[in-house]
Amino acid sequence: MRRSAIGFAALMIVVTAAGVYAKKQKTSAGDERRLALHALERLTFGPRPGDVEAVMAKGVDRWIDLQLHPERIDNGAMQARLSGYRTLQMSTRDIVFSFPPAPVARAVMEGRLPMPADAYRHAIYAAALDRIEQKQEQKQGPTAAENAAATAVKPADLTGQQQLARREAHREINDLIALSPATRMQRILSLPVAQQRDLLQGIPYPTRQALLAGLSPEQRETVVALNHPEAVVDGELQAGKLLRAVYSDRQLEEVLTDFWFNHFNVFIGKGSDRYLVTAYERDVIRPRVLGKFRDLLIATAQSPAMLFYLDNWQSEGPNSDAALGKPGPGPRPYWTRRPAAIYRPRPPQPNPQSNQQQRRSGLNENYARELMELHTLGVNGGYTQHDVTEVARVFTGWTLEQPQQGGGFVFRPRLHEPGDKVVLGHRIRASGEEEGLEVLRLLAHQPATARFISTELAQRFVADNPPQPLVEAMAKTFIASDGDLREVLRTMFHSTEFRAPQAYRSRVKTPFEFVVSSLRATQAEVSDPQPLLFMLNKMGQPLYGSQPPTGYSTRADVWVNSAALLDRMNFGLALATNRLPGASFNPGQLMNSGAASSHAGLASATAPTEAADPYEAQRVLEQVLLAGDVSTQTHDTIEQRVVSPQLAAQAQDAGRPANVNVIAGLLLGSPEFQRK
Amino acid sequence: MKGITRRVFLKHGAMAVVGTAAIPSFLARAASGAVTPGPKRRLVVIFQRGAADGLNIVVPHAEPAYYAMRPSINIPRGQVIDLDGFFGLHPSLASFKPLWNQGHLAIVHAAGSPDTTRSHFDAQDYMESGTPGVKSTGDGWLNRTLQSEGAAGAASGEGSESGGTAFRAVALGTSLPRILSGKAPAVAVSSLSGFGIAGGNPAAAPLGNTFEAMYAQSVDTVLRGTGRETFEAVRMLKSADPQRYMPAAGANYPRGRFGDALRQTAQLIKADVGVQIAFTDIGGWDHHVNEGATEGQLANVLRDFSQSIAAFWTDLGTLAEDTVIVTMSEFGRTARENGNRGTDHGHANVMFVLGGAVRGGRMYGRWPGLDPSQLNEGRDLALATDFRRVLGEAVSRHLGNPHLTTVFPGFDNSPQKFLGYMSG
Repeated sequence: MRRSAIGFAALMIVVTAAGVYAKKQKTSAGDERRLALHALERLTFGPRPGDVEAVMAKGVDRWIDLQLHPERIDNGAMQARLSGYRTLQMSTRDIVFSFPPAPVARAVMEGRLPMPADAYRHAIYAAALDRIEQKQEQKQGPTAAENAAATAVKPADLTGQQQLARREAHREINDLIALSPATRMQRILSLPVAQQRDLLQGIPYPTRQALLAGLSPEQRETVVALNHPEAVVDGELQAGKLLRAVYSDRQLEEVLTDFWFNHFNVFIGKGSDRYLVTAYERDVIRPRVLGKFRDLLIATAQSPAMLFYLDNWQSEGPNSDAALGKPGPGPRPYWTRRPAAIYRPRPPQPNPQSNQQQRRSGLNENYARELMELHTLGVNGGYTQHDVTEVARVFTGWTLEQPQQGGGFVFRPRLHEPGDKVVLGHRIRASGEEEGLEVLRLLAHQPATARFISTELAQRFVADNPPQPLVEAMAKTFIASDGDLREVLRTMFHSTEFRAPQAYRSRVKTPFEFVVSSLRATQAEVSDPQPLLFMLNKMGQPLYGSQPPTGYSTRADVWVNSAALLDRMNFGLALATNRLPGASFNPGQLMNSGAASSHAGLASATAPTEAADPYEAQRVLEQVLLAGDVSTQTHDTIEQRVVSPQLAAQAQDAGRPANVNVIAGLLLGSPEFQRK
Repeated sequence: MKGITRRVFLKHGAMAVVGTAAIPSFLARAASGAVTPGPKRRLVVIFQRGAADGLNIVVPHAEPAYYAMRPSINIPRGQVIDLDGFFGLHPSLASFKPLWNQGHLAIVHAAGSPDTTRSHFDAQDYMESGTPGVKSTGDGWLNRTLQSEGAAGAASGEGSESGGTAFRAVALGTSLPRILSGKAPAVAVSSLSGFGIAGGNPAAAPLGNTFEAMYAQSVDTVLRGTGRETFEAVRMLKSADPQRYMPAAGANYPRGRFGDALRQTAQLIKADVGVQIAFTDIGGWDHHVNEGATEGQLANVLRDFSQSIAAFWTDLGTLAEDTVIVTMSEFGRTARENGNRGTDHGHANVMFVLGGAVRGGRMYGRWPGLDPSQLNEGRDLALATDFRRVLGEAVSRHLGNPHLTTVFPGFDNSPQKFLGYMSG
């Protein structure tokens, strides 16, 4: 800080040539500036150039208050940016029927659902049906489709016939690219179905981009869906998350949506969840991140995504009507019937079993356990295995209507375990669906829950090992406010612990935080999120891709290691030297904004940007990328090594003085930028 | 090198005195130089994350209760690969059978953590920290193995001042797992190719040097340490060029993350960059629904698991002689299948130990039985062998690290209690 304060002051003097003005601001502004920067680091995905000054102008407390009320922040530009991703606005059913998963395509194949008439949809379904036929021809094991997601083993090499079809498809591509978008789309729709199916398969990124260029969102989605309908759904969802994190003005809402999704984690790779997560985040999580914890908890408990992810939709009370085979209205739920596809003759039994043994308990404890361990009480929250079993009995019957076709939550009394239950010593009277709501309210109001949620929030916003007095203060607010999350956050943001010097840059960014903060700091323009999403996969944090219900850790020790550090340095360099597809960095614009912000409104529009003076370039970049707070070590190393012209020449990119790009890349990879 | 020569000489001398009539095989092997004590020996630990279903992996096919409790997901007797008339392998583990026959593969059934948690997260945490029931343990047991061995390694005169090379302890994966985290340096590698600045492009070398200097001088102690390890590792990998080491003939790694991880582990070992401890993991074992039997979800992941390990073994060639591979999973699964043709979280599980010096072809540990009265809490395979007992033997007898009270604090791991899958 000592260095940066001097650096900042020096910069003010140099660029404003108004020494008196700068000096007057220096001491009082130093602390205020650092607080503004700290608040931005924690409440947003990273400051953009000029943000620190804007927050200071508004006043840190008033800015925090505004972020706690996202509805007061205009976000129209964000909506416009997302408008091309149509699934983000669709209902789950619409998504399922627009981009059919294999079970829906199979239902059409078997005549249980009609073939859609709309030209685009018709093409998507035809390709999907063709894919199923192709799979059947390959005579894969009967459960292969079902297991494809569950195993890491890739299918065997392409058959000769497949290669032929793919070559056919690819021969057309250059011709297609040359056509106008409207004609191109028409031509694609008139291709033989096998070629449509393989059109995008295994083609290089630039070719793919050229093929999709100029098409309307619906057309683009259709072409992608011909090859892989599910990729449209998760691709748009992931793209939406990345774009919102980078560009939304409701930054705290984005951070909180990320936090609460992670808290109530579901894994997009688990079967139908791929189709359920869009609505889960949009309709369940996002609207409740600043509401009452109880409401959020109940909404997740009844969400198709969670019911599916933690298997509760299949849980059946051992003494329920369904388990006892009592006649009821309609057929048994289809999952309790043995699907023909996985039927296998039962092997000879070594001993005869009594009826008692043969009746299998359909109780599934998965949700019950994670509800207490991860969603509410925390692992040391004082529950027992007996409580887990009891809670599992309570939630029997909380299930889904046709999850593969996007159906919603439904309570089925036939699956529900009869009788009273005892949870944490409380008797839960037999009352069907109401039992579950009673348990959720009970759990939401436990002191252990207040502490656990407060601890997790403090870990995210304050420190990996948050100070106990802070956690206690937050838990107190939690209990006093009936779990009002906005109030708990307010207690945290206004605490001395949040503003203590020890908290400043104490957290190490997760890969997602690192990537997004780089894009924000450089004001990069993201034209296609896909390559960035690929980088996140490589860095170990695919979006919506945490398989265990714990979600991703934000602890430093999880993410600080050799491979991760190299990935970050490489990402920083690639972004800053414009070698990263999908994102473009404009150093001239950045230098301008840096000059403008440090002029505090006095800037001329024509600040030098061409790195005529590399020393000046370094100073401005330190200002815009790290708010001027850079260590002597980092500053000196870059100054000594990169400002030297022959080194710069070796890493030069054509068309632009290398120093600006390379210095920016080095700063993004510096120790300082890994922290927040 | 001198030390080793002298040890070998002394052993020859001892034999000469005793006579050659009854030379214990381990001495003969040591004397012939096939096994050199100390840092040359390697331990490879594989974690099956998600709680693998041990009862369908090594099947107690002579237990009637097994078939009674698993009406739709059992492995029929005719399809089990029999081992000893009582236990047999899941058919997807066919590639393990030759290793068993050659006496390299030992199996410990009913092993695991004594902690009763059924939380994946907690149970994995305990197995990685090596301290079941104690959450406050800051480091992993593999890291403590390195810490406690550091002094021994330095004394033998091998390795650098820190007790080893940058690749002494390596995790194949994107992040350093709990089991390897701690004071001793350890490196996580997701892909060997491209491990460097700008993918190792020579033109970017000056940038790499700048980053290195930046981190070396940083006041940020955490990032400074990791930065130093990173650039040491980059340099070492570059000079060793592991890409030269193609998989040996017959080492057919399945495609996928796990096969890739073991293939790259073998590359590192064959490149002689000083790997002493390697770790990787394989997920996809949490089969609450439609687990499958001889075919299905478990069968698929088991095929990936066993074929990758068998390929790794083949790939190592003679280096396998100095290598021990141990597998573990956080807990087993319920003895009974559930209502969804799957299994829920259970207790004890099965561990595989594969190695040149392992006395394999045998089952180890007591078998608690599957009668309802013998089950843990009336539902799971009971625990007969603490996982620390199994691991302690490898740490002590294979790596030659006697500091088991440091590696597994609070656990009585005296050698008399070892299972004896390695010679004492």
